[in-house]
Amino acid sequence: MKAIILAAGEGIRCRPLTFTRSKVMLPIANKPVIEYAVRALYDNGIVDIIIVVGYAKERIMNYFGNGKDFDLNIEYVEQKQQLGTAHAIDQVKDLVDDEFLVLNGDNLVSAKTITDLIKRHEGGISILTVASANTTEYAIVEETNTKVKRVVEGQKLKKVSNINTGIYILNPDIFGAIRETLQSNLGEFGITDSIQNMVDEGYNVHAYKTNHTWMDVAHSWDLLDVNARILEDVSRSVHGTIHGTTKGQVKVGSNSIIREGSYITGPVVIGKNCDIGANVVIAPSTSIGDNVTIEPFTYIRNSVIFDNVYIGSQSTIKNSIIAENNIIGSHFTTDTGKNLLIELGGNLYRADEFGTILGDSNIIGGNVSMMAGTLVGTECRIETGTVIRKQIPNHSLVMQ
Amino acid sequence: MCGIVGYLGGSSAAAQPVLFDLLKRLEYRGYDSAGIAVMNGSIQVLKTKGSVNNLMSETPILRGCCGIGHTRWATHGKPSSKNAHPHCCDTNKIAVVHNGIIENYIEIRDKLIDLGHKFRSETDTEVLPHLIEENYNNDLESSVRQALSMVRGSYALAAISSNDPDKIVVARKDSPLVLGLGETGFFIASDVSGILKYTKDVIFLNDRELAVISHNGIEITTLDGKKVDKKIETIKWNAESAEKSGYPHFMLKEIFEQPDVIRETFSGRMSAEGVDLEVVMPDARRIIITACGTSYHAGLFGRYVIERFARIPVNVEIASEFRYINPIVNSSDLVIGITQSGETADTLAAVREVNLEKSQKFGIVNVPGSSITRESQCLFTRAGPEIGVAATKSFTSQLAVLLLLAVQLGRARKEMSTADANDFVYDLKQMSGNIQRVLNEADNIKKCALVFADADQFLFMGRGANYPIALEGALKLKEISYIKAEGFPAGELKHGPLALIYDGVPVVAIATEGVTYEKMLGNIKEIKARGATVIGIANESDTKIEKYVDRVLRIPDSNPWISPVLSSVVLQLFAYYVADYKGCEIDKPRNLAKSVTVE
Repeated sequence: MKAIILAAGEGIRCRPLTFTRSKVMLPIANKPVIEYAVRALYDNGIVDIIIVVGYAKERIMNYFGNGKDFDLNIEYVEQKQQLGTAHAIDQVKDLVDDEFLVLNGDNLVSAKTITDLIKRHEGGISILTVASANTTEYAIVEETNTKVKRVVEGQKLKKVSNINTGIYILNPDIFGAIRETLQSNLGEFGITDSIQNMVDEGYNVHAYKTNHTWMDVAHSWDLLDVNARILEDVSRSVHGTIHGTTKGQVKVGSNSIIREGSYITGPVVIGKNCDIGANVVIAPSTSIGDNVTIEPFTYIRNSVIFDNVYIGSQSTIKNSIIAENNIIGSHFTTDTGKNLLIELGGNLYRADEFGTILGDSNIIGGNVSMMAGTLVGTECRIETGTVIRKQIPNHSLVMQ
Repeated sequence: MCGIVGYLGGSSAAAQPVLFDLLKRLEYRGYDSAGIAVMNGSIQVLKTKGSVNNLMSETPILRGCCGIGHTRWATHGKPSSKNAHPHCCDTNKIAVVHNGIIENYIEIRDKLIDLGHKFRSETDTEVLPHLIEENYNNDLESSVRQALSMVRGSYALAAISSNDPDKIVVARKDSPLVLGLGETGFFIASDVSGILKYTKDVIFLNDRELAVISHNGIEITTLDGKKVDKKIETIKWNAESAEKSGYPHFMLKEIFEQPDVIRETFSGRMSAEGVDLEVVMPDARRIIITACGTSYHAGLFGRYVIERFARIPVNVEIASEFRYINPIVNSSDLVIGITQSGETADTLAAVREVNLEKSQKFGIVNVPGSSITRESQCLFTRAGPEIGVAATKSFTSQLAVLLLLAVQLGRARKEMSTADANDFVYDLKQMSGNIQRVLNEADNIKKCALVFADADQFLFMGRGANYPIALEGALKLKEISYIKAEGFPAGELKHGPLALIYDGVPVVAIATEGVTYEKMLGNIKEIKARGATVIGIANESDTKIEKYVDRVLRIPDSNPWISPVLSSVVLQLFAYYVADYKGCEIDKPRNLAKSVTVE
């Protein structure tokens, strides 16, 4: 069976991190989200994968190539305009002639999650669901004895807590239904509309529930929680040169150096070619990418640092996300707060707890402090001694 | 140029598809004609003008488990099916494929014609099968050996004979050849990337070595018949790297790989204390860099940075000229050959030339196991396989290595303080991220390129370390888009090239921050006054430039010795989008080939 991974969207709610990469390429324990889906498919014996790409496609294609490094055959199909999942799946109609599995590249899944669907599938169309308290942001699936009655988005139904994971087994019959959906709707439309049409016409559609991993990084700050949970399963493997102390589940890549007096408590992953210390403390649930330099006396906890970042000395970074190519001066401090209200595109969202989220390629002077819940865009310059709060748009210059 | 392949396996259906596949992978070495010969009792030959695809559409299925193949880049005789390899002797009992040049072929051919041989092509290669036939004495190996003793020139060749079935004899002198040992048989190719899909266990044949491949294994001797023990090497590259993975062209894929490539180039070579390269020869009194094409431009850049940081005089020489200027080289000189493939005939010859003078030497090369790596110590650029004929990631990785080399020489000679080296290494660490930021702006570069894509000539100008980048920008554009493009040092314009300026002619001016910035603005005014349309490449924080030029392409602010690398990525994308708009065959520009293995 072939698998289709949908990876064309930007993931607007994960801005500023998605200004320069799509949501599927956000790193979790130093691997992009989509890699977990790819490996889960591989573990289920699925080696022919088609990735539907669009927004920032180069990063995805560079990462997986044609799949040989992963023992897989990977093909790419471009969805030029992001017009919803039905349109995305429609892009592969010439490449499949049998049943195929569909999943979203931006959801974190395990191999067992996929197995739950494959094992129980009995022909027709199958949908994988999970129980969730949050039924408003996902489609809910109403079924009796696995037979699906309704798939609806943005509604509440009494006694229904099963939400759609976006993982399906479909067959070429779906393309007819997609054609009808495409003609009858304007703007974006989901594959759930097409499936609902098929249900209405009496097609054999079943839903099965999984209890295994299915996580969604809905907002940029959710990355911290998902990262922390995945780090729990990291096993210790230390390369590079370690002069400091590493305790517990710590992973350090080749050519990295951890200098004297540094103290790292796992779970922590550190990539290749990093230079850390002396006397840097890295506390649990932190991921640090490749080519990162951290100057002496800096403290980092529960944070995600992407590749090519420079962090000056005497800085404190907690519950924060720092994307690629940031250059941060000394004495950088992130405040952290709980129950934050964050405004994105005119809507208010509640975040449990986080500090700061920096997009790519900012240059930050010395002695800069960030209040809890700050979001900084990309390519900003923030001058020495400033205190930053709320949101800074891309290409801003912040002066004292 | 040209690529040769061969295969000996167990199944009688296997040879043809494997040969086709190997040829497809070597097509970048030449693509004006192609052919294969498969043995099945007698020798059957299939050849055609044009690409390997043309050959594959010729339907006959040749059965046989043993065969050879060739993809050609014409040197002697025009591209045609008649001149395509393999070539056979009069009785069609011997077939040969050959890469290289037989210098004394006219002499040999005339003798063979006197002896009654009939020639069917205009190629130098065709003398080989006839010569082998003439010297045939019941076994292919000794006949090839005998024939080669009469031949002058360069070759990598593979021969089969129906008198000696299921055996391939190969030999090399001054042209590359690799043997692969796979589960499904033995593989022969001009280039290791050809056989990586089948096996990672390979043997690199050295000059003046001959190998016999049969079902009993591989036996290697020198041309004089002495037995040679060869090591089987395991290649770490992946065949994956040799496919397009979603990109429309290899060139675009390779441009977008550059942030990763640069990190790989730097990996393990820098520390907070400075630079740590595998090969350095700090006591040289003078450095001579010799190279061709894009690598020559990298060499020119190397001159600016080495002279700046290490204060060693540097000469940069075009390799094909270097040999003929009677180079004055002595034992206190260091000669550096720069070549992507490690097979560039002119560069190899230039480096060999100075061998006689006992000067120090090393190579800067991308392809591990290539000829230059077996003759000199080498610094690897680690760009991975580059398939697009127009060099992109190999160029920027050469610049990166030269920057490292300059810093290390500067440190070793105490021309650069530890603190300065430390600062510079800090800046180098930002290079990969800054290249990524240039790539993030690809759409802007594309928009600008499309505005100018219909121009029929371009000028590129720069000063200082940006001058080699102007040359390289012009080379990229002309080689893939076929638009006339020349690069100049901006100060030279008024000594001639200014006459080329007329109303609206596009000029790309690299005006990034640095000591030459003010002077560049002056030069831009000169050409604007004469009607040129100027595309400026400038730093993102430059607020003045818009007043001087018509369009601006921005690069991130960076150390002025590193910004040329960023500008070159802008110009690669610019050339790519122009060529793509014009519908050119970007990965295989007309008349060009990737490894230039003829002088």
